[in-house]
Amino acid sequence: MKIDVDNSMVEKDKTKRKVVKILIYALLIFLVFVYILPLLWILMSSMKDNAVFKSTPWDLPKSFNVDNYVFAWTKGKLGIATLNSFIVSTMTLIIALIVGSMAAFAIARLRFKFSKLVLTYFMIGMMIPIHCVLFSLYTQFASWKLTDSLPGLIIPYVAFSLPITIYIMVGFFESIPNELFEAAVIDGCSVPRLFTTVGLPLAKTGFMVTGLMAFVNNWNELLFATVFISDDSRKTLPVALTKFVGPHSTNYTQMFAGIVIAVIPTIIVYCIFANQIVEGLTAGAVKG
Amino acid sequence: MDKLLRKKSYIIMFLAPAFILFTAVLIVPIITAIYYSLCDYKVNTDATFVGFQNYIDLFTKDPDFATGMKNSLFFMVFSCITQLIFGLILAALLTNIKKGRNFFKNVYYLPCVLSSAALGLMWYFVFSPKYGINKIFEGLGWLERADKGTQWLSDTSGFIILPIIVISFVALWQYVGQSMMLYMAQISGISKDIYEAASIDGCSRTQSFFRITLPLIKPMVATAMSLNAIGSLKFFDLIYSMVPESMRGKNGGAHVLATNLYEQGLRYSKYGYACAIGIVLLVMCLLVTFLINKFVKTESYDM
Repeated sequence: MKIDVDNSMVEKDKTKRKVVKILIYALLIFLVFVYILPLLWILMSSMKDNAVFKSTPWDLPKSFNVDNYVFAWTKGKLGIATLNSFIVSTMTLIIALIVGSMAAFAIARLRFKFSKLVLTYFMIGMMIPIHCVLFSLYTQFASWKLTDSLPGLIIPYVAFSLPITIYIMVGFFESIPNELFEAAVIDGCSVPRLFTTVGLPLAKTGFMVTGLMAFVNNWNELLFATVFISDDSRKTLPVALTKFVGPHSTNYTQMFAGIVIAVIPTIIVYCIFANQIVEGLTAGAVKG
Repeated sequence: MDKLLRKKSYIIMFLAPAFILFTAVLIVPIITAIYYSLCDYKVNTDATFVGFQNYIDLFTKDPDFATGMKNSLFFMVFSCITQLIFGLILAALLTNIKKGRNFFKNVYYLPCVLSSAALGLMWYFVFSPKYGINKIFEGLGWLERADKGTQWLSDTSGFIILPIIVISFVALWQYVGQSMMLYMAQISGISKDIYEAASIDGCSRTQSFFRITLPLIKPMVATAMSLNAIGSLKFFDLIYSMVPESMRGKNGGAHVLATNLYEQGLRYSKYGYACAIGIVLLVMCLLVTFLINKFVKTESYDM
């Protein structure tokens, strides 16, 4: 008799757990819709004809209208902007990785008195909002004729990417066992070769993580780019997009195509490297 | 080995590029920005020292700056509270399920890596009265005509105007994934033994969340909160893309500090004045980080 009571209790507990689990999943799936639906709406609408969109904005598209994309890419100048963004983000990534990992290697592996202090100095950069250097840099760069040019964007972007790159790479270099370096030194390795043949290959993951982060952040950066660039042929994607999409235009579906063009590259990168990006952003944020 | 790694020439060679670049592009401009903020400096005039005049003007004579400050502070408080609550809930839910955890995590995190400008424009259309969600309400019969419904992004009544509230929810939507991720990282670091011991002692799941999980992730709460606070003070992209310029100024009231700075610097070319706004922003960021870490952070436990 007693055992029966216990069983029904266990049974009750089990069904309660099941109900809770179903509720949790229902909530999570609902949230997935909150996240995906607006993106899908833009994607669907970008395939429609403008007139069709205006009469039935929330229906599924019946056909795929490529013209919107062609217009946004050429007349909307998003094509050239995508190219500019690609150049700026890639160059920034490469320079920041080289310069940053060199400094990180020195801080983590070379021996000098002030290594902790140097690291702290670079970490200041993580606390500074870039807004407060915006116009002092702008006037300086204007006098050097660096505004309205891609190098004029790449240089500040590299500087802003350095603190986080150095922070993460120091962690990776420090985690390499000392014996590996010792062995290489005994074999007659010089310091630059220690860096290129022992340090870099073993910190590959760190490279991936910091590189992706730098790329994503600079691909999306808007404030500096709007202030520094006014020439149409040099605009980066977020700047060109905010100029192309606006209250003046009445052709909605072309603007939607523009938005899709702007987010698709990052969505693809994210789908491939989601785990590394997440790891990097979390690691960077923790110190922030 | 030691001798080789102590060679000064190599140390300088490895550090110099980063050090020079960082100093020239970040540290020196901060110092000049502090100096400019004390100057009358416009596009055609050289910088002349005027003391604290810019700051006095900012805090006493500039209604746009007052709106910007009000809205930025609202964003900060709103995002600190909501991100804490929703970030924690999501993290707690996701650590409690097995199937599909990665999928949900990656979906909620997705907007964090997308361009705020593009997402802002997307939401601008979602909230457009004629074709956006009002149209759905019309279809559902809640509204007679879509464009007669709530003017999500152009209603300017109230102390905190509706567009600002709408945008703060969009920001929550975009960035809650980051808080979630930080809390999840911290929760997954808590040893299972503690929970086991608690459940043997008769602790329910809800109890163990409040008694074990919460106290142990407190240091992360401080980190995530200061990140949110700084992020929302620096807020620019969403405002820039979601409210037209005419809405930000005197009649609109949708300014934030960053759009103030942008407008003063780029439109009116008042560089000294814009630098002063930037310095105010910097001081606020440092102050908020300091306060949050002082009041939220407690000693960390060994886990």
